[in-house]
Amino acid sequence: MFLRQYVPMAIAFVMGVVFAVQYYVPHPASEELLTTVNDWLIVVSGFSMVLGLASLMGSHWAKVRRGVPGWGYSLVVFLGILGTLAVGIASKGKMFAGEELTLTALGWVYDNMLVPLQGTVFSLLAFFMASATFRTFRARNLEAGLLLTAAFLVMLGHVPLGEYIWDKVLGFLPPKADQVMGWIMNVPNMAAKRGILLGVGLGMIATSLKIIFGIERAYMGEGG
Amino acid sequence: MRKLAEKILSMDRRAIYLLMASAALLPFVTGPLGLPSRVSPEVKAVYDRIESLPEGSPFLISMDFDPASKPELYPMAEALVRHAFRKNLRVIGMNLWVTGSGMAEKILSDVAEEYGKKYGRDYVYLGWAPGATNVILGLGQDIYKTYPRDYYGNETSGMPVLEGVRTLKDIPFMVDLAAGDPGIETWVVYGKAKSMAGGCTAVIAPGMYAFLNSGQLVGLIGGMRGAAEYEALLKEMGKATVGMDIQSTTHVLILGLILLSNFAFFATRRRR
Amino acid sequence: MSPELLGAWVAAGLTLAIFSFLYKDNPFFKFGEHLYIGISVGYSITLLVFNFMIPKWWTPLFREGRMSLLVPTALGLLIWTRFFPRFSWLSRWAFAFVVGFGAGIAIPRTISNFIFRQVESTAVPLVSRGQQGVSFGWGDFSNFLIAFGVLSVLTYFFFSVEHKGPIRPLARAGVLFLMVSFGASFGYTVMARVSLLFGRMYDLVEYSSRGYGYATLVLLGLMVAVFLAQALSKKREGG
Repeated sequence: MFLRQYVPMAIAFVMGVVFAVQYYVPHPASEELLTTVNDWLIVVSGFSMVLGLASLMGSHWAKVRRGVPGWGYSLVVFLGILGTLAVGIASKGKMFAGEELTLTALGWVYDNMLVPLQGTVFSLLAFFMASATFRTFRARNLEAGLLLTAAFLVMLGHVPLGEYIWDKVLGFLPPKADQVMGWIMNVPNMAAKRGILLGVGLGMIATSLKIIFGIERAYMGEGG
Repeated sequence: MRKLAEKILSMDRRAIYLLMASAALLPFVTGPLGLPSRVSPEVKAVYDRIESLPEGSPFLISMDFDPASKPELYPMAEALVRHAFRKNLRVIGMNLWVTGSGMAEKILSDVAEEYGKKYGRDYVYLGWAPGATNVILGLGQDIYKTYPRDYYGNETSGMPVLEGVRTLKDIPFMVDLAAGDPGIETWVVYGKAKSMAGGCTAVIAPGMYAFLNSGQLVGLIGGMRGAAEYEALLKEMGKATVGMDIQSTTHVLILGLILLSNFAFFATRRRR
Repeated sequence: MSPELLGAWVAAGLTLAIFSFLYKDNPFFKFGEHLYIGISVGYSITLLVFNFMIPKWWTPLFREGRMSLLVPTALGLLIWTRFFPRFSWLSRWAFAFVVGFGAGIAIPRTISNFIFRQVESTAVPLVSRGQQGVSFGWGDFSNFLIAFGVLSVLTYFFFSVEHKGPIRPLARAGVLFLMVSFGASFGYTVMARVSLLFGRMYDLVEYSSRGYGYATLVLLGLMVAVFLAQALSKKREGG
């Protein structure tokens, strides 16, 4: 109990208090302490990345070993990992080689496989968004109507064709479409986002204090 | 009328996907629409800030994005690096997102080749390191301890491009191009840059206006529209400018879908 | 076949495989999705080893003798005890070190950059003073709206006090500001999503040209043929 719970809580407390106070101490020793510990934590981040990557590989390996439905696709994951690793080692981790900066094998995999795959997975969202907009975007009440109006005006002012349509239909009004959009972004939108930001900031401070004083122990995992 | 409205509301989602694909492909068929984007004050502010920097000033650009955000942030990064090289600034490139390393390297090397810039003298690519918050804090303390070597394994201390630069405070201006977290907010909280601007995907742009208003960001380039505006300021037609045509057609389609669905909704609602 | 041509065919094929999900979930999409996960992980490991582990840990520690790196190495190894359930409790010490540091540095910087700076730029004069005295123009109205908006949104999120009496209209105003902000965010999100679509469409159109052997068109045709064949055989089985 002492080593498993109280020691980590004590470490978190000491580290939290020291580095909260460090900000207000301009002495060179204080700056050196921050620099040194910070550099250590860059190294530690690298070690913790290995943890995340190994977990992912472990879960897919478990699927292959157990032969669960779809285990073939988990093999594809390993094919991707090992293939890219092999290519990466052969290219010594470099995307370009030589003075003429020719694409290496790793660079080829990055440009012709990773970029298209990741780009396309996220571009599906454009279609889903259009479909969801059609199905759910209704001006049922004042709040929804306000949301719809703001979205409409921002979208109109955001693209050249929208600005053109505005000029043709509402050109007699003094503000242009982009000016209306700019005002919405800089005034009511900014006010709401600032309110949220202040709330988030206060929440971050509260959570940090809870971690330092041992009230929040989720980082310890099970039994924390 | 009610039957038509109900039919509209029950439209197959694949018909909507087809409409979206058609709207996206339309500019490739018809050719450029030739409609310009008006430049917003927040984008102009970034341009003016770089214009105001004396020749030879160090300029830090952190390209914190991955391939998913390439269409928005790659043209933005290219335009900014081009502008920096035109002004003969010393460009220091880096990134905090591991899968963005390839793109960051390509942007710097391609644009440097265009302008005949020499690596180590005119620009440097520090690369990626894990622990974004720690990297930013480290740059605020000592760049050479955080990045003792650059992306290519060269020692950073003694590099002509980094002469006179020890911490972020020695860099008069930096731009962070961000697709999420770690990104602009992380730099605002943990960085100690003298002056900073942001470039970001359109998803996170609305949240950045609070930092713009408070002066923590000098300017903001938001999304593909922002990138197109910056290209217009540089008097260049890049990929962002080309992309605005698709933005136009798809935006108008979605606005049309919103109007249609609301018309159909109210038409069915009235009869109930 | 040149690497560039092969690359175009591979990129077009993988793009179409992922886009096939718009029709329905299918093996092409699943293959592409899992390959993406694998390549992402492989690339991350490659960069971790060559950009970090070797130049920033192995070489300084074992070749240059920087003994100070033994401390983070020990912490890193403690994190790796999570792989061994019997000793995984040791990882708590390392996580406490990291999380405690993070919590400590966050507090003063959040107060300074999130709280003070934001409050400072909200508390601005709501009227202008000029040679002709005090005036209230469009800029002043905007400043008033910002101040009112921030206050009303904060009131809405303050759940410790019930939203009754004079608090209620203020909280409701906060909701209206939030709705405008969400609408604006939606408008921007549309641009973001369409940008991603443009990126892929641009490449697909480029790869459909003669120079790339009509890659997009051939592969699209093959995919459509497979789906058609599947649909026909299903119909025959059902019929």
